[in-house]
Amino acid sequence: MIEARNVSLEYNDHGKIVYACRDVNLRIAKGEFVGVLGPSGSGKSSLLYLLSGLKEPTAGSVLFEGKPYTHLSERERAEIRRKRFGFVFQYPYLVGFLTALENVIAGAEALEPARDRAEALLSEMGLGEKMHRLPSELSGGERQRVCVARALLWDPDVVFADEPTASLDAATGREVVRQLVERRRGALVMVTHDPRILGGADRILRIEGGLVTETSVEVAETADSRVEEG
Amino acid sequence: MAHPLAPYIFLLRNPARSVPITIVIALAVLLICGIVALVHSIPLSVREIYGYSRNFSAALPRSDPSYLPTLEAQLSESPVPIERVLKIRVAFFNVRSIVGKLPFVLHGLKPEDAAFLRQRMGLSQLTGRLPAVGAPEAVITRPIAVNLGLDIGDELLRPDDPQNYSPQPVRVVGIHESDYWFAYGDYTYVAQNHFPPVDDLVIVAKDQPRFDRWAVERFKGTKARILTHAELLRETDESLAVLLQLLSVVIGMLVVVVTVMIGLFINIYLSQRITEFGLLQAIGFTRGFLARRAGVEASIIVIGAWLLGVLVSVGVLWIVKITLMDPRAYFLDPLDWYGIAYTLPLPLAVLLASFLTIRIRFARFDPVEVIERRIA
Ligand SMILES: Nc1ncnc2c1ncn2[C@@H]1O[C@H](COP(=O)(O)OP(=O)(O)OP(=O)(O)O)[C@@H](O)[C@H]1O
Ligand SMILES: [Mg+2]
Repeated sequence: MIEARNVSLEYNDHGKIVYACRDVNLRIAKGEFVGVLGPSGSGKSSLLYLLSGLKEPTAGSVLFEGKPYTHLSERERAEIRRKRFGFVFQYPYLVGFLTALENVIAGAEALEPARDRAEALLSEMGLGEKMHRLPSELSGGERQRVCVARALLWDPDVVFADEPTASLDAATGREVVRQLVERRRGALVMVTHDPRILGGADRILRIEGGLVTETSVEVAETADSRVEEG
Repeated sequence: MAHPLAPYIFLLRNPARSVPITIVIALAVLLICGIVALVHSIPLSVREIYGYSRNFSAALPRSDPSYLPTLEAQLSESPVPIERVLKIRVAFFNVRSIVGKLPFVLHGLKPEDAAFLRQRMGLSQLTGRLPAVGAPEAVITRPIAVNLGLDIGDELLRPDDPQNYSPQPVRVVGIHESDYWFAYGDYTYVAQNHFPPVDDLVIVAKDQPRFDRWAVERFKGTKARILTHAELLRETDESLAVLLQLLSVVIGMLVVVVTVMIGLFINIYLSQRITEFGLLQAIGFTRGFLARRAGVEASIIVIGAWLLGVLVSVGVLWIVKITLMDPRAYFLDPLDWYGIAYTLPLPLAVLLASFLTIRIRFARFDPVEVIERRIA
């Protein structure tokens, strides 16, 4: 469904070229759960932005359903993000003056059906009582769950999650990831530096200095826990 | 259910942001409207106060009695039929206006001339009586009575008042109910007591504007001075032109100041909302959509604030009119289209500034910068 062909993203950092991604080739298939692991600054977020069309590569191309993003207009790319993708970012970004419920349905086309769905979803996620609160009246974990509900509202083809647990404590983080993994219908691309939350992943990509390699779930787990403990 | 991203939702839920802008714009509109309406009340006053001059024109022999027969002969050449030529004498007094005292004429009329003019001007309803021949007596209309606070028996002219002078106290003996400002007394009394001892001619024509045009042309370069309604209006407008130009400059400066201020406001608000815009763009809204939404928000505020300002202005001017102006028979038009027109550049400039600001802000805007918290 999504394909990266020889994709590089480089930044010019005061004359010095920094590779955020380097010659990446990969495919994300329908419905699969892909974990992306790597230390800070390795290019995980950059990879996610490239795959979702939020950033244009400096070399190579990213294709969605066979079409390069660069051949699409801003409008068409936005429409793909709104209708086909879901996003959960590192920080639980919500529109501050909208209630939890309104935030979830803000991107929807038809409001009434979206509202019914969002109410059901938020209730299932334990936010039934709090869906009419403003983000400022919710805890960080609650906000991130609202973000998950927003990303999942219409069962998007791909959910991109960039360190969804980063701003949460361990238990809340696990809960948010569990919701995300269980409720998704489409593919899930989840970035993290914590391999323990990638338990159910079909594939794991390691990224280091912008270079992507594929590893098995088990290797990733042992390798990274050793690094963290040591 | 309203769409959460409907432009008014932001405005309603962020009164701390929408209300100050609204107040600034509305106050500026009130200021402009008020100043213009007040300035505009000057020509309005002149038109109303001297409105009686629509009914006739005057030919003055400039204090030279020997010129009078020539003047009369020349007037009879008029191609426009003349109904009546009145020989009158004049005394002066002051009426009060928003710009201070304005000179006004006490027409000294012979009884038959007075009757003719009363009929001509529709001055029928009279409280009191007409002036007696040779007596220091005057009849005025209601607006003058209100303006000077005079009632029957009060003195209009006095020996001890240099601005409203007459050797004997001239008392008001009658008040006409009319919208005209008009005052007359007896010819004989004025002729015997006031300078110059020369008659002025009052010409009542069948077609007054046409006669006036002819007379002004005919007596150009002669000794006679012709006073017509049209000349009066032209002179008023001319003398106010400079004032109105100055006013335009002041309003222009005000518009610039307010526009820059609102532009800065809007820029700050857009900066404060950068996370919202970044997030919405990331999850699939185009810059165009967000810029349009911000534009509609700005338009709602600016147009709403302008309307509010106009409403408040009309209200305030109405109150000023009723409490301050009417009791003195001063003129003020609370629904002054001229004043409202003067406020239009303000919303237009502010809208332009906000659209420009929004355009510049959204021209280069990368949601990733926001998501990665490089800008916030
Ligand atoms: N706008 C930029 N200008 C210069 N360098 C950048 C820019 N954005 C990213 N980089 C660099 O690209 C590299 C990859 O960044 P990226 O944000 O993808 O890392 P990451 O793996 O997501 O890190 P983290 O786990 O800390 O979020 C980093 O070295 C970073 O410094
Ligand atoms: Mg990152």
